[in-house]
Amino acid sequence: MEIAQILSNAIIVAAIYGLIAVAVSITWSSLGLINLGYGFVFSFAGYWAWLTAQHLSEWPPLIAAAGILGGAVGGVIICLVVFIPLHDKPNFTTRGMIGTLAISLIGSQALLMQFGPRAKSLPELFGSWQVDVAGMALTSDKIGIVLCSALMLGVVVIWMKGSRRGLEIRAMMMNPHAASIVGIGIRSTGIYVMALTGAMAGLASVLLSQTYYIAPFSGLTPLIKGVSIALCGGLGSVQGAVIAAMMLGLTEAATSRFLGGQYVLITQFLVIIMILIVRPHGISGLLDKAREQ
Amino acid sequence: MTETQPGKLQPITWHNPLEPWGADQGNPELTSVAQPDAGDVWRANTAYKAKTYKVGRLKHYVIWSNHGRRLWRRWRWWPTRRNVLQIRGLYNRKTLKAEKKIQDRRPIYWAVCLALLAIGPFVFPASMYNTLLSAGTIFGVFAAINVCWTLILGTASIFTLASYAVVGVAAFVTTYLSMQWGLPWYTLPVGGAFIGLVMGGVIAIPALRLDGFYYALLTLGLNELCRVFFTTTKAFGSASGGLYGADSFIPDSWSPVAQSLLSYYSAFGLLLATLFLFRFINGKRLGRVLRMAPEKREAFAEACGVDYRRARIIIFVLTSAALGFIGGFYATLYRGTAFSIFSFDTVLLGLAMVTIGGIGKAEGAILGTLVVIFLDKVLIGLGPARLFLIGMIMLGVVLFTNNGYFGIKKQFNAWRDKKRGEWRSMRSEKGGEALPEEATERDNKDEVYFLRFDKMQRDFLKTLICPEIIEEHRRQPLGQHSAALERLLMYFRRAPMDDKYALQRNAETGRYKIIAFSGQRGVSPRVVEDREYDTIGDGYHAIFVRRVHDLMEA
Repeated sequence: MEIAQILSNAIIVAAIYGLIAVAVSITWSSLGLINLGYGFVFSFAGYWAWLTAQHLSEWPPLIAAAGILGGAVGGVIICLVVFIPLHDKPNFTTRGMIGTLAISLIGSQALLMQFGPRAKSLPELFGSWQVDVAGMALTSDKIGIVLCSALMLGVVVIWMKGSRRGLEIRAMMMNPHAASIVGIGIRSTGIYVMALTGAMAGLASVLLSQTYYIAPFSGLTPLIKGVSIALCGGLGSVQGAVIAAMMLGLTEAATSRFLGGQYVLITQFLVIIMILIVRPHGISGLLDKAREQ
Repeated sequence: MTETQPGKLQPITWHNPLEPWGADQGNPELTSVAQPDAGDVWRANTAYKAKTYKVGRLKHYVIWSNHGRRLWRRWRWWPTRRNVLQIRGLYNRKTLKAEKKIQDRRPIYWAVCLALLAIGPFVFPASMYNTLLSAGTIFGVFAAINVCWTLILGTASIFTLASYAVVGVAAFVTTYLSMQWGLPWYTLPVGGAFIGLVMGGVIAIPALRLDGFYYALLTLGLNELCRVFFTTTKAFGSASGGLYGADSFIPDSWSPVAQSLLSYYSAFGLLLATLFLFRFINGKRLGRVLRMAPEKREAFAEACGVDYRRARIIIFVLTSAALGFIGGFYATLYRGTAFSIFSFDTVLLGLAMVTIGGIGKAEGAILGTLVVIFLDKVLIGLGPARLFLIGMIMLGVVLFTNNGYFGIKKQFNAWRDKKRGEWRSMRSEKGGEALPEEATERDNKDEVYFLRFDKMQRDFLKTLICPEIIEEHRRQPLGQHSAALERLLMYFRRAPMDDKYALQRNAETGRYKIIAFSGQRGVSPRVVEDREYDTIGDGYHAIFVRRVHDLMEA
C-alpha cells in the first residue's frame, strides 16, 4: 500500500519533470545549446493557458493547447534571439547559456511587470473524480498528468523516429557538421527543435499548474529539477532522462515520506552527485565526446 | 608627342628604319592598323586604386624624451626586478633621440580608478549621499566576490555557479556561531574562511570528474539546495527573511554617517585585498601554469608536464576559502545575512556582473559589478524595470561581444584585420602579377618586377588583337608586318622554352604538325594536335592563332 503510494507519486513527479528533462536533453544534443530559459518558457506558457482560461473558454483541451502553443512560441523566441545569432560565434556554449539565462531574467521581469507578483491558478483540467486501483486512491489529476505526459512523450518519440524533420533532428544529434554538409539547415532545425521542446515545457507547465500556481518565477524549480534529471540521465539521451526521472522521482517520494519534505533536494542531490561521480556523463551518456563545438 | 585621349584608337605610321641608309627593298612608310595608346595601359596599371585618407593611424603610446644616460634607470617593484610600467628605452628612428615609452599602462588606470573609489565619499552629491554610500559598500563586497569568482571561472576555467552559495553558507554559519557562542567579530571572517575551505573541498570533488557544463548545471542545483536547506531550517531563522544578530566591528555609538563611512572603507579594503589575491594567484605560478592549459588543449599541457587538474583544484579551494572569508566579513559588516544571497536572481545578477565586464579579467568583474550595482541599488526608482534593463544589457553583451567590455578591443582588432584582408584581396588584381604577400617571399625582386611588367604588356597586347591583324598574318606569316602585328610576334617569340610551340615536318609526307617543347633537356616535345598542315605558312599561322588564343585566355 505504502510502496504503491510512493511509486505512484514517483511516477507523477517523473512524468512532469521528465518532460523538461527530455526537452533540455534534446536541445543540448541537437543544437549544443544549454537552454536555461525553460524557466521562462514554463511561466510564459502558463500565462498563455491562464489568459485562455480567463478570456476564451475553460474547455480543458483548449487550455492545454494554449499552454503547448505558448511554450512553442517561447521556445521559438529563445531560438530567434539567442540560438540563431550565436550558433556560429566563438564561445557559443558559454555565451548561449548566459544568453538563455538573460532571456529568463528579462522574461520573468516582463511577466512580473505585466501580470504582477500574484500567483494565478488554472481551472481543473481533468475534473475531480477518483479511482480505486488495488486498494489505493488515484485522483483524476494524477492519472491525467501521467497520461498526458506519456502521450506527449510518445508523440515526440514517434515524430522523431518517423518524420522527415525528426530525421533531420536525429542527424544533427549524431553529427552536426556532417548534417549541415548534407544540407540540413542548422537554423531551420533549431527552430523545429526549440518549438518542439518549448511545447513540451508548455505542457509540463499546464500539468504542474494542477498542483501548484502560475507565477513569474514559478519556472525555476521545474527547470532546476529538469536540468538535474537531464544531467543525471546523460545529456542527449532520452532513455537516460526517463530512467533518471524515475529514479529521482522515487527518491523524492521516498524522502518526503520517510524524512520530510525539506530534505527532498538534499537526498536528490546526493543521488545525483553519486551517479555523476560513478558515471561522469550520466546514466546513459552516449555522446561522451561526440558533441564538441 | 601629341596628347592622346584614353580609349581612343590611334592610327600609327610605320617608318622603315633602314630607309635613310638606302634600303633597296620594303616600303619607306606603312600605315598600320589603328591601335590604342600604350600609355593608357600603363596608367591603368600604375594608378593607386585603394581609397586613401588624409590622416593615418596614430600610435597612442605616450613617448617622452629621455636622457641616454638615464635610459636604464627605472623604478622597480621592490623587491623584484620587475619594471613599474614596463618602460622601454628606444631611439627615435627619424631624429635618433633617446626616448622612453610606456608599454603597460594598466597600473595607471588601476591607480586612477581605485583612487576615484577611495575619494568617492567626499565627492558624492549630498542629495544621494546615503544611497551612494550604501551602494558603494555593497559594490565593494560584491566586487570582491566577483573577483574571486573570476579567478575560478577564468583562471581555473571551472564553470561554477555556486560561488554565492559558498559566501552565503559561510555568512549564515558564522552568524549562527556568533549568536550562539558569542564569537567576536574578528573571528568571523577567519571562521568563514575555514567554512569556505571545507565547502570548496567538498564541491571540488565532483569537479575532478565532471567537465564543463555538467559541472555548471550541478552547481546551479547545489545553489538551490543551499537555498532550500537554509530557508527551511529553523535554526537559521526560517520564519524571518534572514539571520541577523552577529557581532559587528562597527561601533553602535558612532553616528550613522560615520558608520556608513566605516563600512564603505572596510568594503573597499576587502576589494583591495581580493585584488591582491587575484594578482598573486593569476599572475604567479598557478595562473601561468594554467594559461598553458586552456580549454581543449589540456592534453598538450599535460604532455608538457603541467598538472593542470591539481592547479585548478588548488585555485578552486583557495578561492573558496577567500569566498568564505568574504562571507564572514559580510556577516560582521551587516550583522547577518538575508536568504536572498541564495536566490536564483542573485546568481543571475552575479553572472551579469561577470559577463558584462568580460569573464577572466579582474577589471571586467569590477566594471560589471559597478554597472549592475548602479542600476540595481542606485536607480531604485525604476522598479522591476531595472532588472529588465540589466537582463537586456547582459543579453546585448552576450550577443555582440565575444568576451564582454574588456574583450571589445581584441574583437575589434580581429574584425579590422579580417576586413583589411578582404579589402586587400578585393583590390589586388589577378593575372600573373605577384600579390603583395607573395612579393615579400620572393628573394629575387627582378621576378616581381618582370611579372608586373609582363602583365602590363599582355594587357596592352590584348588591345591590339583584331581580325585585320590575324588576316594580315594569314596572308604573310613571315616578312614585313604592320607595327601592331610585329609587336605581337616579338612577344610570342620571346616566350620561355617550356611549352613553346614549334612545327614538326614529317619527312615522308612533307606535312607539318604543331608540337610543344618540354623545356627540359632530354625530354621530347609533345604533340599538340593531330591536324596536319600542307605548307609551312599554314603551320605558322596555326601556331599564331593558337598563341593569340592563349594570350586572350591568360
